[in-house]
Amino acid sequence: MYFLSGKAMPRRQFLQNLSATIALPYLDAMIPTGRGSRILANKAPRLVAIEMVHGAAGCNELGSTLNLWSPAAAGKQFDLSPTAMSSLENYRDYLTIISNTDVREAEPSSPNEIGGDHFRSSATFLTQAHARQTEGSDVRVGTSLDQLYAKRFGQDTPIPSMQLCIENVDQAGGCAYGYACVYTDSISWSSPTEPLPVIRDPRVAFEKLFGVGGTSAERAERRRTRRSILDFVSGEMSSLKVNLGPDDRQRLDKYLEDIREVERRIQRVEARNQSGDPRELPEAPAGVPDSFAEHVKLMFDIQALAFAADITRVFSFKMGRDGSSRTYPESGTDKPFHPASHHGGTERGVKDFNMINKYHVSMLPYFLDKLKSIQESDGNMLDKTMIIYGSPMGDSNLHNHRRCPLILLGKAEGQLAGNLHIRAPDGTPMANAMLSMMHTLGLNDQTKFGDATGALNLNSYA
Amino acid sequence: MKSLVAASVGGLSLLAVAIIDRPDPIATPALTSPLATSASFDAPLSDPPMRPSAPMRRGLGHPVLAPAPTAIANAALTDVVKKTCAGCHSDQRKQGNLSLQGFDMTNINGSPELAEKMIGKLRAGMMPPPGRPKPGGDTLNVLAGTLERMMDARYALNPNPGTRTFQRLNRAEYERSVKDLLGVDIKAESWLPLDTKSANFDNIADVQTPSATLLDSYLDAASEISRLAVGDPKASVSTSSYRIARLASQVDPVEGAPAGTRGGTSVMHTFPADGQYVFTITLHAIPTGQLFGSAAPFDEKIEISVNGERMSVLDVDRGMSQADPNGMEIKTKPISVRAGPQRITAAFVRTFEGPVNDNIAPIGHSIADTQIGSQAGITTQSHVQMFAVTGPFNPTGVSDTPSRRRIFSCRPLAPAEARPCAEKIMTRLGAQAYRRPLAPNDVKGLLTFYDAGAKDGGFELGIRTALEALLASPHFIFRVEEMPALAKPGSSVAVSGIDLASRLSFFVWGAPPDSQLVSLGRRGLLTDTTVLVAQTKRMLADKRSSALSTRFAAQWLRLSDIEKVHPDALQYPDFREQLSSDMVQETQMFFDHLVRENRSFLELYTADWTYVNEDLAKHYGIPGVVGTNFRRVNYPANSGRVGIFGHGSVLTLTSHANRTSPVLRGKWVMEVLMGTPPPPPPPNVPDLEKTGESKEGRLLTTRERMEEHRANPSCRSCHQFIDPIGLSMDNFDVNGQWRIRENGTALDTRGDFYDGTKISSTLDLQKALLKRPTPLVRNFTQNLMAYALGRRVEYYDHPAVRKIEAQVKANNYRMQDFIVGVVKSDAFRLKKVMEQADSGTRGVSAPGVR
Repeated sequence: MYFLSGKAMPRRQFLQNLSATIALPYLDAMIPTGRGSRILANKAPRLVAIEMVHGAAGCNELGSTLNLWSPAAAGKQFDLSPTAMSSLENYRDYLTIISNTDVREAEPSSPNEIGGDHFRSSATFLTQAHARQTEGSDVRVGTSLDQLYAKRFGQDTPIPSMQLCIENVDQAGGCAYGYACVYTDSISWSSPTEPLPVIRDPRVAFEKLFGVGGTSAERAERRRTRRSILDFVSGEMSSLKVNLGPDDRQRLDKYLEDIREVERRIQRVEARNQSGDPRELPEAPAGVPDSFAEHVKLMFDIQALAFAADITRVFSFKMGRDGSSRTYPESGTDKPFHPASHHGGTERGVKDFNMINKYHVSMLPYFLDKLKSIQESDGNMLDKTMIIYGSPMGDSNLHNHRRCPLILLGKAEGQLAGNLHIRAPDGTPMANAMLSMMHTLGLNDQTKFGDATGALNLNSYA
Repeated sequence: MKSLVAASVGGLSLLAVAIIDRPDPIATPALTSPLATSASFDAPLSDPPMRPSAPMRRGLGHPVLAPAPTAIANAALTDVVKKTCAGCHSDQRKQGNLSLQGFDMTNINGSPELAEKMIGKLRAGMMPPPGRPKPGGDTLNVLAGTLERMMDARYALNPNPGTRTFQRLNRAEYERSVKDLLGVDIKAESWLPLDTKSANFDNIADVQTPSATLLDSYLDAASEISRLAVGDPKASVSTSSYRIARLASQVDPVEGAPAGTRGGTSVMHTFPADGQYVFTITLHAIPTGQLFGSAAPFDEKIEISVNGERMSVLDVDRGMSQADPNGMEIKTKPISVRAGPQRITAAFVRTFEGPVNDNIAPIGHSIADTQIGSQAGITTQSHVQMFAVTGPFNPTGVSDTPSRRRIFSCRPLAPAEARPCAEKIMTRLGAQAYRRPLAPNDVKGLLTFYDAGAKDGGFELGIRTALEALLASPHFIFRVEEMPALAKPGSSVAVSGIDLASRLSFFVWGAPPDSQLVSLGRRGLLTDTTVLVAQTKRMLADKRSSALSTRFAAQWLRLSDIEKVHPDALQYPDFREQLSSDMVQETQMFFDHLVRENRSFLELYTADWTYVNEDLAKHYGIPGVVGTNFRRVNYPANSGRVGIFGHGSVLTLTSHANRTSPVLRGKWVMEVLMGTPPPPPPPNVPDLEKTGESKEGRLLTTRERMEEHRANPSCRSCHQFIDPIGLSMDNFDVNGQWRIRENGTALDTRGDFYDGTKISSTLDLQKALLKRPTPLVRNFTQNLMAYALGRRVEYYDHPAVRKIEAQVKANNYRMQDFIVGVVKSDAFRLKKVMEQADSGTRGVSAPGVR
């Protein structure tokens, strides 16, 4: 019984089909006509913001002397081999390491908050703001980087942004230490008081992006039906208008515009389907896989697909959940994640935890391969994308938020040089680096972000 | 699951935000329209009013409310206003953003919004504020009465039934419509975005903004619901998850679960096809990854059942951990289930009874905090976090389901019979969905989809496709109302019979009209007042009118706010999800009883009875109630509870997690019950939290903390209204239980109601409020009208509100009289023809001309 083993057939097929599908040539015909702002928006880099929790083994004293996270040398001649990022060696031209930045806003600001680091850190990661301690609905932290970007540049794609996660979330009520669970579960905040819900099921994410249906034939069938229904609805609306007052007619006109917008979305998906050699979108995934690696890969597949079809340009992806005790046997240690993160500073403990960090980073090349294989007009998708990977915690053994892991991958439309290790001066807020990332993304007028004290040049290590 | 999104609660601030310089939209009464425009329903009409050239009868039947008060000359009243009010409401000080310096009684007809605003404050007795000199005798009453008579007379000359754009089916209405039509229980939240609220309600037309995403969600819903209803033999594997609230008790049995179980969840799940399904349970873990409840003395078992029949028993291993390969998930083997709605339950097998003897009493077996989940000395039970269904695997077809029985009223036995049968089915379903008989073109449109589907996959696919189109049709999802082509802009026209049928049924039932109502509407009989009132009474007697309590009253009283309050687990260990839903049900049943028995509206305040079940009775300290069903009981003597002020729902939803809030309670009374919301606090006001929690080694009571807070004069101007009201309710704690002490100190609930009355209990508060029933009655009427009309109630509606008030007062404010009053009002039965569309409509053809 294949479905009990967690190796469901459709998923395999999905993965197999995918590599072929991704290799679609990008056709300029896919750019919808009549949208003047496209030229500008077309230059908007794709953004993926990935959070990994629990910091890294390389962020404590012992770990940093062993260079388990940041390499010894700053600049271009850095050696990745001792670090948890060794799997990125092939992509060092796309890699920008920003080391030695602090996430001070995740630190406790009053005695009540001491100890609650696990439950508020994630909310701080992309907002660099301090979470108000509450288990009620009066949550408040800050607007996250990805949402500031999506608000400005995400409006031209059918979906402005999408939020994905791996671990089960629990958004109701309080979690612990007086913190609402949304602080633990949501890295994307559309305003300081609005955490965005997160999608864990690849199937749900897939359907939101590409439509409902298990197979491409089924989806195509549904799209066909939907188009004829749209025609029908627009016809009905037009005839309805006849008997209405002017206000109602005005409102119906707005709905008629919306029909055209929905049609445009369908056309876009269809154009993509009919343009390349492997015409079909893959099989939709059946649900959440049991294996971490398989789940992460599926989520990466979906992000790559969405970028290729230009359905959205912004993803946030939460790859872990604070306090999680998941084990990653393939990493080389079977210690659970959270206990391993409290390594006690011993060499053995630090090295074991590093294996988990290394394993997490080793998920990335799969995604980078995918993006690099996608051609879009003048370049590959990795050139057009900025991937943020980091953690709002530094030394997890102490729950501190200093010298936290942070790297960038991709060239963000040629604006990141890559092959660079920037070691920030001691005490630099991570917000400085994020402010610069926003400038790189085109949010040039952003002058403040979290506790930023200024910008940080992402293309120079001087 | 608790909603995280705080619905924007637009307070009913129509008095406070009146825009002074809006042009009077009713300048030109249409006297010459050939239609029965402007025919007010005030006048008893012996014939249906649709007859062309019916004589115009306007301005009749606006009775003067109070017996004419002592007349005071206009000039004298102008003087009173200038002397009494214009000191604060001056051009310079502009208190309340209002200047009365240039007030002149003789010109007030030109500023109706100002007049209505003054009437509101005067009738509530709130102005002049406490401590300010007032004119003697009943001068202020005479002023209010004079203003009212002037406004009523003004309205009589220029009746304005108001207008709005068409409504769309919101989540609640959509669910009920689908259930009515197809017999399928759906959760509209699976597709439709959250409804925007305005003026307390989720059905206000002008904030139902169109968007592509919204349209797309209706189409998604149509596609999925048509498949669920007809069944989908080719359904592919997918997962549906049901989440269990952390605060849900795992010791109480869950409604719908088989006897002998506790906790978990029980839901109606619609299976798309006959086939095999895998059920997955996810349990809660403590922060370090072990099972929540791992210290339990033995392993528990979870039973999975379908329609009460045990399908599988799963063992919960106390040693399980997130670090295990399957984490906190337990799966069943594939289980065969038939298509259609089936009740599925995942619940613990009950293995113990009675109280647990423990160091610390278990906290209702909910999860207030995951960290206590493994400590010795506290008995915790493992807690189901999620229940998921995955499938179908190997679907074998679709067997008989209730929705299929409802859809397939005929079956083609020969190919030639297929299309006539489809036509029969779609004509019947279409009439129900469109809330009117179908025109030949409607049927033709739907059958096009049948033909396309039938060509691809036979009769059933044809019907399913046509059904998808039906559910996507604007005739179904929009509640458009016809506008006669020749209607003259600025005039009023009668809402057509068929549209009135929908207005009435969505008001009283929150659902589409039944065939009787549609038929009466179609034949033009509903426009007859006698028939209309008789139908309203018939509908009120129907059980569907419970929508007035679950939809209208629940929103008016903001009952859903209770979901936002999670009482502190250490102080209020009894609080759990089930209790809060019991509290909401109490208030809804209480209101439903008032409506159904046609009791006085004032009983909302004075009732010495309520509805409770065993759990709630225990919570309130009412003896002798056994069982889960709700029943009417009298409050025990000296319970301190009276009317709605005794309801746990109201007391909890106006509290913070760890303390009561006299401010929130006072504000709730002023805003929700009286319709006179206090203004928002000015910026830079110190939070109550900032005032010290303790003094001289003793924790302060909420009152003491508030007094420190109120020492600030900029706070006092509003808090002198708010706080005494809230304080009088302070004998009830965060979750509505009686108390006489707080933080070890005896409570002092004494205060001065803003009119000077000494109050110190809910009973005192109730008496102080009922001294002046006018604002309560008018505010209730306004809310009822807003909900019924789907638009905010504006200043020009106030004469109509006063008229309903006068009608209901005659018979001691009976509930059904209010509803009948709204139904009979011009605003409900007429609509104003827009002069021209608002900004942004240039390019739309001129109104009334096609």
